[in-house]
Amino acid sequence: MQKNLSNNSTPPQPQAPPKMKATSLGNDSNTRKRFRAIQLKIVFYMALKNITSKKLRSFLTVFGVVIGIGSIFFLLSFGIGIQELVTKQVIGDKSLKALEVSSPNSRILQLNDQVINKIRRYPNVDKVGLQYSFPGSIAINGGEVDAVVYGINQDFQSTTSFTLKKGRLLKKEDTRAVVVNLSTLKSIGIKTADKAINKQVKLTIPLNKVQSNKSEISDNFTIVGVIESGAGSEVFTTDSLFTSAGVLNYQQVKVIAKDTKNISTIRKQIESNGFQTTSLVDTLDEINKIFKFFNVILVSFGSVGMIVAVLGMFNTLTISLLERTKEIGLMMALGGRRSDMRKLFIFEALLLSFLGSIIGIAFAIAGGTAVNIFLNSGARGRGVTSNFTVFAYPAWAIFGMLGFTLIVGLLVVYFPARRAETINPIDALRRE
Amino acid sequence: MSSLGGAQNIVSLKNVDQSFVVGEETIDVLHDINFELQANTFNIIYGPSGSGKSTLLNILSGLQHPTKGTVVFGGSKLYELSPNDLAAFRANQIGIVYQQNYWVKSLTALENVSLPMYFLGYSKSSAAKIAQNALEQVGMGSYGKKEPGMLSGGEQQRIAMARAIVNNPLFIIADEPTGSLDSKNGDMIMNLLQECQTVLKRTIILVTHNMEYLPLADKLLHIQDGHVTEQQDESINKTATELLDQMKERIDRLSKAKVHGVQKNAKKLVQ
Repeated sequence: MQKNLSNNSTPPQPQAPPKMKATSLGNDSNTRKRFRAIQLKIVFYMALKNITSKKLRSFLTVFGVVIGIGSIFFLLSFGIGIQELVTKQVIGDKSLKALEVSSPNSRILQLNDQVINKIRRYPNVDKVGLQYSFPGSIAINGGEVDAVVYGINQDFQSTTSFTLKKGRLLKKEDTRAVVVNLSTLKSIGIKTADKAINKQVKLTIPLNKVQSNKSEISDNFTIVGVIESGAGSEVFTTDSLFTSAGVLNYQQVKVIAKDTKNISTIRKQIESNGFQTTSLVDTLDEINKIFKFFNVILVSFGSVGMIVAVLGMFNTLTISLLERTKEIGLMMALGGRRSDMRKLFIFEALLLSFLGSIIGIAFAIAGGTAVNIFLNSGARGRGVTSNFTVFAYPAWAIFGMLGFTLIVGLLVVYFPARRAETINPIDALRRE
Repeated sequence: MSSLGGAQNIVSLKNVDQSFVVGEETIDVLHDINFELQANTFNIIYGPSGSGKSTLLNILSGLQHPTKGTVVFGGSKLYELSPNDLAAFRANQIGIVYQQNYWVKSLTALENVSLPMYFLGYSKSSAAKIAQNALEQVGMGSYGKKEPGMLSGGEQQRIAMARAIVNNPLFIIADEPTGSLDSKNGDMIMNLLQECQTVLKRTIILVTHNMEYLPLADKLLHIQDGHVTEQQDESINKTATELLDQMKERIDRLSKAKVHGVQKNAKKLVQ
């Protein structure tokens, strides 16, 4: 028996450790009661080390998640992209705040100034656009063609998207000014929009079928602007022309709400007076309904890959648990809490799933963008000027996807983590 | 060499019973264990395999809830603590060395030594500083970055010693730490354990079935068939001599069996 005391002065052997010094190490008696939970940074580090120590397995697991999340996100961004494309085509730059009001029977229920003033007083009504429309004719240089003549107020003009080709739109004080569309010009024999400006035309509008002072408007007007709209001949002038002729009823009234969310309330109020209303919101709702269904189908196709990925993750975590039974037992014997062991597995699962989903989303975006570029260049070859996107990735979809992976990760890790925290350190360390 | 006179008791077991239910059978492992351990002493639990040594050690290290009886540590009853407080007890007060080496394989030696500090809520860098100091105490200062599983048995056991002292525990519990080592490395570990007592003023609890280490003990807990007898000073040497005598008898008995062709095996046993 040999007993090396600390005051032994023999120099240490090459293999032998140096003499211990009576220094305090981790915690001296003052801080002996100190005990906090393990820092999450360290749990994260340990989870990361374990994942990177098994490179191939972790790579394959993450790859599975990449395929699963990538295919879901690719299909989802296709659904969203198509939906946006269709919506854009249908809605265009028309306002969703607009509500078109008409009368189901104009002889009984009249859209006159009395009604308009009532509507103006409803809360959250921003503007009321007024429109008269009558069949008439436009004549120049002896030629004469039939056209629809619209009398509109400023609110109507400002809330309707007119594509101006030449000249200007109508002003409030205009009395003998008209704006015509390109097809009107074509029918009356004016070749270019340039030549039309300041030309005198004669409008004839019979009013014998409506309540009015005159039986016909027939007068000379000056073309102030040319717009690009519609296939038939359309002539726009100010509403004052018809008001001064004593026409009482508007053909169409456009109510603009302060916000889209006010539409339904205003709508109910107007409809309670017996008028009919149509809104683009209706169309939009229909589109959204169809695409909700379409997207569900797309995502469920993608989910097949995700199910396989989830099984792969579950498999990896379970094997990781079985392999590390001893390590978990050891960590518990060294003072780890049960909750620390649970945290370790949760972090590992979240790391795997997040890594997979970020790469998967990146791949899906890259793939979608490539298809967009390809389709656009093909379309440009065929003369389409405006860019369009078939794949769209709004931020909500990306964050939603990450949130989805978070939930999937937590569900997958539930059982392995529960088993990790119920490991008995004695059994774990005894097991061979 | 004894420092027992008037020393304070830091742990005491009273009427501790331990039995395990396996299927329909109840196996009694420990019967009515009563003893006390004093601060800054070297204690050896000695007994043949299957005698209940490891179970007793698990009870002392806060891992095995005894069937009956109380374990009082520093004035409070250990097994009345909440699971988290029990974990805190292990992280704070106990350093463990096993016969086999257990590591968290994805971590370096330094990080493995840091584990008890991590569980005490230390940051990675401050734990690393303390762990490096502990590695230097056992002469393994340059091994911090290595993978512990790749080192030799003796080196691994020394790193395990560093892990056992890193949290400056009151107790160092060593469960047959020399069991897998050759005598040279085994003696080195025993030296380290002794220094933990003499220099760091820790209390050592060593489990062994190697009788040659018995004279190191201030107190011997001789365990047989689940019963513990306490011995101190002279009687330890007496027990050691008795055990040596028993061994001589065994050698004699086996050498007489030479005619049956078992002598070679017997010699191997002794070696």
